[in-house]
Amino acid sequence: MKKQFLIACLALLSFTAIPFISQAQTIKISGEVSTPLTVDAAYLQKFTQTTVTRKDRDGKDHTYSGVILSEILKGAGVTLGPELKGENLTKYLLVEAGDGYQVIFALAELDKSFTDRTIILADKIDGAPLAPADGPYRIIVQDEKKPARCIKQVTAMQVHFVK
Amino acid sequence: MNQSKHDPLLNRLKKSRVMFLLLIFIIISGWCYIDGGIETGPYNLVYPSNFGNRIQIPADNPTTKQGVYLGRMLFYETRLSANNTISCGSCHQQDKAFTDGRAFSPGVDAVLTPRNSMSLVNLLWARKFFWDGRANGLEEQAVTPLTSPHEMGQALTVSAQKLTQTVNYPALFKLVYGDDQITGDRIVKAISQFERTLISANSRYDQYLRGAYQPTPDELKGIELFNTAPQPEKGIRGANCSHCHGGPKTYMELFHNNGLDSLPKDAGIETLTGLPADRGRFKVPTLRNIALTTPYMHDGRFKTLEEVVDHYSEHLQQSASLSSFLRGESNEAGGKSLKLLSMEKKQLIAFLNMLTDSTFITNPSFSDPHLISTKNKKH
Ligand code: HEC
Ligand code: HEC
Repeated sequence: MKKQFLIACLALLSFTAIPFISQAQTIKISGEVSTPLTVDAAYLQKFTQTTVTRKDRDGKDHTYSGVILSEILKGAGVTLGPELKGENLTKYLLVEAGDGYQVIFALAELDKSFTDRTIILADKIDGAPLAPADGPYRIIVQDEKKPARCIKQVTAMQVHFVK
Repeated sequence: MNQSKHDPLLNRLKKSRVMFLLLIFIIISGWCYIDGGIETGPYNLVYPSNFGNRIQIPADNPTTKQGVYLGRMLFYETRLSANNTISCGSCHQQDKAFTDGRAFSPGVDAVLTPRNSMSLVNLLWARKFFWDGRANGLEEQAVTPLTSPHEMGQALTVSAQKLTQTVNYPALFKLVYGDDQITGDRIVKAISQFERTLISANSRYDQYLRGAYQPTPDELKGIELFNTAPQPEKGIRGANCSHCHGGPKTYMELFHNNGLDSLPKDAGIETLTGLPADRGRFKVPTLRNIALTTPYMHDGRFKTLEEVVDHYSEHLQQSASLSSFLRGESNEAGGKSLKLLSMEKKQLIAFLNMLTDSTFITNPSFSDPHLISTKNKKH
């Protein structure tokens, strides 16, 4: 009897509680990858942290810190580095945000052997977590004049071949 | 020699007899065309190049003329509802740009839908459907209204059975799918084909973009406000609507919290994801035909475009999930909402009225085909 009551309580709790538990945003990496990944805060801590400084809409310089995007992609088995040649050069990364906004990068734009420009997945601005409307993860493209590809609230990344 | 050949009276009689036979022939062939002679072949979707070609047609449901014909019949088919009274067309009426003028719509059980009926237009380009974007294609979307107990409330298998028992439908399904088997999947596919043809591209704004209409000074100012971000420190005034509603289609498939409430009754996408950033986040709807689709917003809270513009201008509610595009976006330095002048509001609304496409709402190809055939029967 006691046990049944407990089970009933638990069942009730699970019904009421689940919708109210706040989830933490993660990033799904899929497509032309050898290991599909779900990136979360703990996963990002495993990488070397890099900083990039760029102006935000307020016109002031800000220091963003996070992980070099290509390092995360390598972890998923994306064809970067020595493998980025031949038809692999027709691959692109599609980044999607929580509001449905999408931007793309050619893989070569992300690869150190092609460019010194650093593109990071940032989780901090001036040492503090990104504001909810921008984060928890935002792509920061060093030196790109327009901020349009510094996509906020990143939720998913997919690697595809151009058809 | 035959005399009669030259007899003018006889000749005229003969001619008129030929004409008479010809007339009969035309009438009969016309009859066949209506009853059985449905055009077949690939359907040519026509749209302006500035809409772009990122259109969404699944490989297993190509758009055909016969498929669109069947889809239109089904879109307006009340037999697809549990009590034979409701069709898609009940909540999506052509003269209202496929909305129904209500805040919430009654289904077969008279229970109201939890959200406002949405305009069906230029769906060919949409990838995520519903106010919260939860359906990933038209085919997937259509299953919900067909089967939801508060909408049409009938299992797809029952709908398929009911249609199988009709005189017309088995032959139509055969024309479209090669055999007369009627299934839920085939119903949904045909409806989606019809929906893909609901293209609106002839509003005064479209005409202006293709150089065929000269806007009034108010309309021009409205276009400018719509597309400009306010920068009070530089003396630039704007309404910045295009950040979310921009482009030739006035639809960009974005999802935002536009500041209706600080504590929303309907949590929107947060209900699906559990993410606080998604609280009160909804689809940014198309503004095409917006003057025809009152009431506005996911809960139909605003009855007029004036109320909508006042919302963005004065009543934006702050919250943690308010879109960053609306944060501190103001014509007054340090302002929390747009703070438009009353003249500017009028100009903005003049622009919104340019988005009405009267050819779309009167296009006979989109109307209820059952009405036409019952009208014909009466005569
Ligand atoms: C009882 C009224 C009702 C009926 C009947 C109905 N709808 Fe809807 N429709 C709605 C409402 C309300 C919404 C928004 C619901 C939501 O977001 O949860 C909607 C949304 C849609 C959308 C999404 C549009 C977009 O831009 O995302 C499509 C497409 C649609 N309906 C098609 C159909 C089709 C096809 C049928 C018939 C099979 C149908 N509807 C029947 C009320 C109705
Ligand atoms: C941050 C993005 C964003 C901006 C900027 C924005 N809107 Fe919206 N708009 C939305 C969203 C999201 C909705 C639907 C909200 C809901 O129902 O919860 C909406 C709804 C509307 C609707 C009602 C549509 C319907 O079918 O019910 C109108 C009209 C509208 N906006 C006009 C404007 C105008 C005019 C401007 C500029 C002053 C503007 N919007 C700026 C996001 C935006």
